[in-house]
Amino acid sequence: MAGAVERGLLPVKNVFEQVGVMMILTVKTLISAVRAPYPYGEELVWQLLFVLKLSWFPLMISTFALNLGAPGLQAAGVLSLFGALDRLGGFFVVIAIRWIGPLVTAVVVAGVAGTAITADLGARKIREELDALQVLGVDPVKNLVVPRFLALMIVTALLDIFAIVFGLSAGIAAELLYNQPLGGFFATLFSNATITDLWASVLMCTMFGAIVAVVCSYKGMSASGGAAGVGRAVNQAVVISLVAVFFFQFVVSSILLATNPELQAVR
Amino acid sequence: MIGWLAVPRGWLDSFGEIGRFGVRVAGLVYSGRVFKFFGEGLRQAGILIFGSALIIWAFVFILGLQCGLQGAYFNRSIGAPSLAGLFSAYCDLREGLPYAFGYILAAKVGTGIVAELGAMRISDEIDALEVMGIQPLTFLCATRLLGAWIAIPFLYLVGIGIIYAASFLSVVNQVGDVSSGGYLLIFWMYQSPPDLIFSVIKGMTMATVIVLVGCYYGYTASGGPVGVGTATAKSMVFNIVAVHIIGMLGTVVFWGANPRAPIGG
Repeated sequence: MAGAVERGLLPVKNVFEQVGVMMILTVKTLISAVRAPYPYGEELVWQLLFVLKLSWFPLMISTFALNLGAPGLQAAGVLSLFGALDRLGGFFVVIAIRWIGPLVTAVVVAGVAGTAITADLGARKIREELDALQVLGVDPVKNLVVPRFLALMIVTALLDIFAIVFGLSAGIAAELLYNQPLGGFFATLFSNATITDLWASVLMCTMFGAIVAVVCSYKGMSASGGAAGVGRAVNQAVVISLVAVFFFQFVVSSILLATNPELQAVR
Repeated sequence: MIGWLAVPRGWLDSFGEIGRFGVRVAGLVYSGRVFKFFGEGLRQAGILIFGSALIIWAFVFILGLQCGLQGAYFNRSIGAPSLAGLFSAYCDLREGLPYAFGYILAAKVGTGIVAELGAMRISDEIDALEVMGIQPLTFLCATRLLGAWIAIPFLYLVGIGIIYAASFLSVVNQVGDVSSGGYLLIFWMYQSPPDLIFSVIKGMTMATVIVLVGCYYGYTASGGPVGVGTATAKSMVFNIVAVHIIGMLGTVVFWGANPRAPIGG
């Protein structure tokens, strides 16, 4: 009986265990990021460029397509029935800045850079390079995880701005498809947008970068079982990062919207 | 170090091959040749249901909460909090669910297929199948597509129920600007059976593309454990962009000319 209960609770135990180990890795990463020496500068620049070069094109297409389809054409269709297409600008503050900008950035970075990080670290783990590093006295957390962690945090913040710009240009495209002048769009956009929206979006996105980096590094560094193991590690890493990012965004936007009533003032 | 244009150039390189591969696999299913391995197809459907259903629905649930939350606060900011059902109806059925489904299928099922088939390719199991006289393309790829076509419509329909429940929870119970009756009135008014069918078509197109892309990258993986990891990563990049483009095209085709809202006329 006790054995059956234990077996049934095994997945739950596994989840808690993994979350715990990821937390430990986060704290270790933070501590070794600030404590001297700082040998990771070169690797940080390399990772920054790597992630930017991989992500900019998928992100551009993704944000434009998503913002043109979901909030752009759907909302413009309804608003045109009311004759209130200028209101689309206010709507895009909610969608493009507060919600989809950080979300799509996180999804693309998890799918593009996160998978690459897990595949890279997983392959090193399988070939026992990580063990060799440790034998040589090189700390894998400091030299491999910290630069990826910092690079992903910086890159997601940068790409979030990029995503907002392309999201808003998709909104402009939707207005133009309905043959509207753009004055109304910009007027409602700028009267509804607040500084809080922007910094919350960028900060949220930085957190997403940290989540993706920790999850993907952890999964890569704990890969095992040959070729199938690396593939499985990438699979788990991307699933966990997506679920974590979506859940985290729900919590953050709940808190943000409930504690900042000026975001919902009627303008 | 890769160049700035490496990703689009890689797609241009492989797009035609993926298309040809996909048409071949889909042809194997359409021509009925896959039914020689119908049992394997059912097994793949079972794996999909038991292995991925819970995580898919959990993901859909979180997106439903987010849809309701953003909609409730947006409608408060335009001074019409009782119309939160309009936003939820559009966000849940037309856009949110297909995208949530596409993301999590790409992450869970797509990369899972690449990892599995890639490992088989690396350890020469696919060649072994061929030697034994079993067509690997039919046995491995077409059965997976058949399994996806059997299982995913039902997963999707259950997902609709879950995302509706999640939006209801966050609009009515969390934010609470509108009563449950008022919310449901608007919510059901702004959707119709054709919307449901269009949404399922969108989701199924995404699922088909994701399974085919996963099969392609897994089937053609090479270069040891590193190669499997790289192929998995590449399939995820391709799938994310494909999901967004299919989502946009679906919206343009189904709702672009006619918003299908019960207003006016």
